[in-house]
Amino acid sequence: MHPTDLSTVRQPIHSAHGLPNAHYVDLDVFDEERSALLMSGWSGLAVAADVPEPGDAVPLTFLDIPLLLVRDRDGDVRVFHNICRHRGMILVDAPRKIEGAIRCPYHSWCYSTKGSLVSTPHVGGPGQNTADGSNRDLLGLVPVRSHIWLGVVWINLSGSAPAFEDANADLLARWAEFDKPLYHGGSDSAFQLEVNCNWKLAVENYCESYHLPWVHPGLNSYSRLEDHYHIEASGRFSGQGTLVYRQLTGDDGQTFPDFEGLSDKWDTASEYITAYPNVLLGVHRDHAFAIILVPQGPGRTVEHVHLFYAQPDTDPALRAKNAEQWKTVFEEDIYVVEGMQRGRHSPGFDGGRFSPAMDGPTHMFHAWVAEHMAAHRAQDKAAE
Amino acid sequence: MSDLDAQLLAAHEAQDVPALVALYQEAAATADNDDARGFYLTHAHVFALEINHPDATRLRKALIGMGRESPA
Repeated sequence: MHPTDLSTVRQPIHSAHGLPNAHYVDLDVFDEERSALLMSGWSGLAVAADVPEPGDAVPLTFLDIPLLLVRDRDGDVRVFHNICRHRGMILVDAPRKIEGAIRCPYHSWCYSTKGSLVSTPHVGGPGQNTADGSNRDLLGLVPVRSHIWLGVVWINLSGSAPAFEDANADLLARWAEFDKPLYHGGSDSAFQLEVNCNWKLAVENYCESYHLPWVHPGLNSYSRLEDHYHIEASGRFSGQGTLVYRQLTGDDGQTFPDFEGLSDKWDTASEYITAYPNVLLGVHRDHAFAIILVPQGPGRTVEHVHLFYAQPDTDPALRAKNAEQWKTVFEEDIYVVEGMQRGRHSPGFDGGRFSPAMDGPTHMFHAWVAEHMAAHRAQDKAAE
Repeated sequence: MSDLDAQLLAAHEAQDVPALVALYQEAAATADNDDARGFYLTHAHVFALEINHPDATRLRKALIGMGRESPA
C-alpha cells in the first residue's frame, strides 16, 4: 500500500489542505488509522452506566475486537477481551447478569468477574481439574486498560499510552468543575444514530461552530455565531463553546438542578469538545453529554449518545424533552456528514481548504491525525 | 435411560443451573467409583460457581480432598 501524502495537512491553516479522500473511503487507510489513531491512545468504548450493578456484563465489539464490559463483585468497572484463554471462544454473547463466575460455553473454564481463572474442569483428564503446565495464575482474562471519566469508559487497546490523567491532563483541568458524580438519565437519555460516514467527519463537524447557523437554524434565535468561541489545544483536543447557553424549561417552568460549585462562567456558557479520537463531549450548568463514535468501517459509524445530570432523580418529562431536543440537533448533522462522505468519492476533491477564521478546531484535528499517522508509519518503518 | 439421566438432560435443555448443581451432586452420591464421582462433582462445582451457589465452597473442598482441584 502506498502511504497517503499528509504533508499539506500539516501546513498552517491558511495553506493547509484537509485529509485526502483515502482517509474516508479506503479500507487499508481505515485499518492504518485503526492502529495509529484508535488503538494507540484512549478511545471511548461505552458508559459506566451500561453496567450499573455488580455482575452486569455487556459484550461489545470495537474495531472488530470482541470486548467484555463488566462491573465486578466490588463494583469496579473492568474491560476484558471477551475470549476464553483456552480455545478463544466468545465468553459472553449477550448482555446479562453474572451471578457467580463467567463460564465459557465451550469447555466450561470459569473466570471471576475480576478476570481470574477459577476453574478448569477436566483439564487433567476426566474429573481431574488441575494439570501440570496449566497455571491458572497466568491464564486469567486478558484485561484492557480502562479509565472512567465523565461517565465514559475509556480504553487503551495498545496498552502503551500514558496514563489517562496524563494524556488528558489539560482537558481534565479545563473541566475540573465537572469532575464530580454524573448521573446517567437512564433509558430515556440514551440513543444511537447510525450514520453513513467516516467517524472523522462526525468529529470534524462537531468541532466547529461555522456550520451552526446553516445546519441548525433553530439556534439563531438565541445563540448566534458570534456568541461562539473556538477551543483549541494543539495535539490534544478541540471544539467550541457558546456564551449564551439557555437552560431548558419544562411546561411549568422547571429546570434541571445545576452541578454544585460551578463558577459564574457556567451560568451562561457551555462547551463542546472532542476528546481525540472518538468522544464528543458537551458540558452545561445542568447536564452533560457524551457521544461515543464507534467506527464500523470507512463509511459507517454508530454514534452512541448519553445524557447525564447533576442528580439521580430528575424530572422524567424534562429529561425526555432534553433528549429529544439533542436528538433533533444531532440528526440535523447527519445530512451534512453523509454528504461530505459521498463527496469523498470525488477524485476532484483535494482535501478542501479551511477558513482560517472559522475552521481552526477542525484543522487542529486533521493535524493531529496527520501527526499520529506519521508517527505510526515511522514506527512501522523502524520495525522493518 | 435412568430417571436421573433424564432429569439431567431436561435440566441442561432448560438451562436450569440450580437443578444441575443438585442433580450432579445426586449423580456423584450414587457413583460406584472415584473417577465417576470426581466427574460428577466437577460438573456440580462448575455450575455452582456459575451461579454463586452456596454449595460451591463445599464442592470445591470435596474435590480438593480427592486431589482433583486446587484451592484457588
